[in-house]
Amino acid sequence: MHLKPFLLSALSSATSGGRRYHVWMGSLTLIMLLGAYAYSVQLRHGLGVTGLSDHVSWGLYISNFTFLVGLAAAAVILVLPAYILEDVDFGHAVLMAEAVAVAALVMCLSFVVVDLGNPLASWHLLPGIGHLNWPRSLLAWDVIVLNGYLALNLIIPFYILYSHYAGRTPDKKKYLPWMYVAVMWAVSIHLVTAFLLAGLPARPFWNTALLGPRFLASAFTAGPAFVIVLLWFIRRETSYEIADGTFAKLALVTTVAAQVNLVMLVSELFYKFYWPTEHGINARYLFFGLGEHHALVPWIWTAIALNVLATVALMIHPLRRNPRWLMPACATLFVGIWIEKGIGLVIPGFIPSPLGEIVEYRPTWVELCVTAGIWALGLFVLTVLVRVALPIELGEARSPYLEAGPPARTVRPRSTRARHEDVRPVRTR
Amino acid sequence: MNRTPVAVAIGCAVFAGLACACGERPHAVWQASPPGAVRTVDSTTAALNATREPGVLGTVQAAPVVGWTGPGNRPFEVALRSSAPEAGHTRQFGTIALPIALRNRSAALSQYPCTSCHAGRKVVMVEKRIGDAHQNIKAVHPARTGAVCSTCHAPENVALLALVDGKRATMDESYRLCGQCHFAQADAWAGGGHGKRLDGWQGRRVVMVCTDCHDPHKPAAQSRIPFRAPQIERTRSHDRE
Amino acid sequence: MSESRKDGTLLQKPVDRRAALTILAGGALIGAQALAACAPLSVETDEQREVKLLAWREHIKGNYRFMTEAERSETIARLERLAKLRRGEDVTIQSTGAQPGVMFGYAFNISKCKGFRSCVEACINENNLDRHAATQYIRIFEMEDGEVDLELGDATFQHEVPAEGHFYLGTQCFQCADPPCVRVCPVGATWQEPDGITVIDYDWCIGCRYCMAACPYWARRFNWSAPEVPVQEVNPNQHYLGNRARKTGVVEKCTFCIHRTRQGRLPACVEACPTGARVFGNLLDPDSEIRWVLANKHVFRLKEDLKTEPRFWYFTD
Repeated sequence: MHLKPFLLSALSSATSGGRRYHVWMGSLTLIMLLGAYAYSVQLRHGLGVTGLSDHVSWGLYISNFTFLVGLAAAAVILVLPAYILEDVDFGHAVLMAEAVAVAALVMCLSFVVVDLGNPLASWHLLPGIGHLNWPRSLLAWDVIVLNGYLALNLIIPFYILYSHYAGRTPDKKKYLPWMYVAVMWAVSIHLVTAFLLAGLPARPFWNTALLGPRFLASAFTAGPAFVIVLLWFIRRETSYEIADGTFAKLALVTTVAAQVNLVMLVSELFYKFYWPTEHGINARYLFFGLGEHHALVPWIWTAIALNVLATVALMIHPLRRNPRWLMPACATLFVGIWIEKGIGLVIPGFIPSPLGEIVEYRPTWVELCVTAGIWALGLFVLTVLVRVALPIELGEARSPYLEAGPPARTVRPRSTRARHEDVRPVRTR
Repeated sequence: MNRTPVAVAIGCAVFAGLACACGERPHAVWQASPPGAVRTVDSTTAALNATREPGVLGTVQAAPVVGWTGPGNRPFEVALRSSAPEAGHTRQFGTIALPIALRNRSAALSQYPCTSCHAGRKVVMVEKRIGDAHQNIKAVHPARTGAVCSTCHAPENVALLALVDGKRATMDESYRLCGQCHFAQADAWAGGGHGKRLDGWQGRRVVMVCTDCHDPHKPAAQSRIPFRAPQIERTRSHDRE
Repeated sequence: MSESRKDGTLLQKPVDRRAALTILAGGALIGAQALAACAPLSVETDEQREVKLLAWREHIKGNYRFMTEAERSETIARLERLAKLRRGEDVTIQSTGAQPGVMFGYAFNISKCKGFRSCVEACINENNLDRHAATQYIRIFEMEDGEVDLELGDATFQHEVPAEGHFYLGTQCFQCADPPCVRVCPVGATWQEPDGITVIDYDWCIGCRYCMAACPYWARRFNWSAPEVPVQEVNPNQHYLGNRARKTGVVEKCTFCIHRTRQGRLPACVEACPTGARVFGNLLDPDSEIRWVLANKHVFRLKEDLKTEPRFWYFTD
């Protein structure tokens, strides 16, 4: 009964805002249109308009895909304490983290679709009318876990927001089991994506047991780092309260994950270079280049430099506690992981080829535009979701059908304590 | 493996019909076959090939090999020499024809048959006279082995080859001559590890003889410029025009 | 053949489903045509309409592996008609199944290969490989004596061969007994036939290229743009799973010339090899040449440690 006003209110929240908001959304739309045009070129001429080749058959699209899976999975780091361990601090942050997960998954799925050579045939993946090669193909697993995770991250927050909108306390019995599922699921999307690469004996660069853990470590670095920046922005721009403790804990998680990530990097480097074997040739290409081929060398060293700098900054307590240091450090870490895991992981797996031929990869304008377009799409989705969630969580948007209709604002003062008693989803009675 | 019995029955009936028409005993290996059991070649395959394009097995003239058997002690045949284009030294691949031997046979056989000059006469086999009539012969192999013309050619009949035991072989039986020294190669050739089988992995086994690929006077493979190299970098769309 | 029939009858359900889909599609098409009829400017010839209809029917068809014999002949009729209408080619597309008791195997004599690349030339012509992209299934590596490391080999040699102090090693699809490419395909568009040939249904492939990442022997090629073969150079003798026309955005590979070998003939590369370095035959036949080579020569395979069990051996004299 509250659904129609809920949707209308969501629409109005998403479409109204100040000038800066409209400029932001307008520029995102513009970039999306550019991406759409580039994709139309790709559809017309085939993937030949990209920089890919028989040698480097996956590039920027799949790189971004693997990175963004990590971002999506990172929501779990907030879901876990907020809903299950009942940590008070994360209560406000968790919906935002779930919005990040949804946006990241939308980007992931878009990147997979634009990477398909024959997207019109993608219905072949649908079980029933198509043929999903499950459980043998890890890509089939990925299709399932990504869509499942997207569904979980859409439905749970929707239920909670809708309940708040309708003036009810969300029923723990209804959503908590799904929360448990979502937590497992978040780990699984990451591991499955790692296994997708690690399961290929043809590519020794990926075929290592460390790949899955490395994926998790980098995900729990980049994900919370992104959420920290997002929450900080929300706190600065809106009246939505996010406790300082949230930042402290998230920053701690990010720091530990970044350290683990570096340890794994060192371990990888030792394994590949102390006694270089045939199987280390891709790593040699990535870190030092082979002959006149060294396109990725500056990228990977930049990534390592950024990661080390940011990690060191985060390890110093006064710096980590100061937003002036925390925010740039998180942003740096985010970029560093993007390069390391995006460019530095997928592409060198193909260079040199299994037969030892070296063909380098350089993305074309089509790929860059499509990639930018999808990122704009993700940010667009994220903005809309945050925009819709905030008024509800602030108590500004409430169903007009609510009985005893005093304005929401007066019922729910913006004191943290009062909100916790009322809105906090997992508070025990 | 649980095929419908009807299909098996039909299959057997059809096969039996075909096999009987060709005068062969039908084999029972159409049923689920244990590893090792094989459907023996039906001669219809060769006939089918023959209709497909000129020069393939069906039109190749062949003779049974004397003294050697192929894998499984089965007899096999050698393609007979002929300068005719359908002799089987060129094959059609898609829309192009390619020679399938190391040397271009018809040119080397410009003076074949030998009797066109040597008819009824005893051949004077003197080393120094080779250049007179046989300028195309580069006698690399005899020079390296100390052989003279009569080591291999029968003096009394230029169309025959002379074997060490005094026997004679025809020009199409060069394997008998070469195999005297190159016995390892000859064994491999009979087994299938050396030489070329024509057209089919199935069907009658017809192979080329030594001299189809090797110039007997200069047997090593001749060097040449290969077919174009692969393009390592992919063609980009803007490379068009 | 029997193998495919089995699949067809086993999976009766998708067939029915597909029939329903076809009816739906027909409805959509009629709707589209009604729309087109309303547009005054669109002058569509009968041929264009036929192409559209056929292309649509092709788009909604199922996976070849699960088709009934009737469905197979229908799609082949459509494909042959489309080749005629779109490109003016008269082609014959076979659906010849695997012979019972046959498992193909291949042996390559590295002492014999002289690097002439006649096999490459024959392969391109026989399999209608894309001339614009210069696709080649076979790579011949020039290797220095004493090395078997492909990374040190050179496939781009263009000088008189054989070169002193070198040997030549050819690669192509090795038709592994346990092919990683088949395992990873998310839609089952590639599979291993009963005679050991790994094939692709080009119309079922979604173009994700996971198989290309999974192949340890770099045997798969992708159609980055629309493949081009001049009409006069098209080999009209085709197989649905082999050398028929491919389209943009799908993967293709060597099929041991499935349209030839299933009829008892040799693959084009074997037949074209002027040095007899290539041996092909039935592994299940103890009296075959390939079995003679395996029994009497010292053989090795590439990357055996990966346990994909290639059915492609190298040997020396």
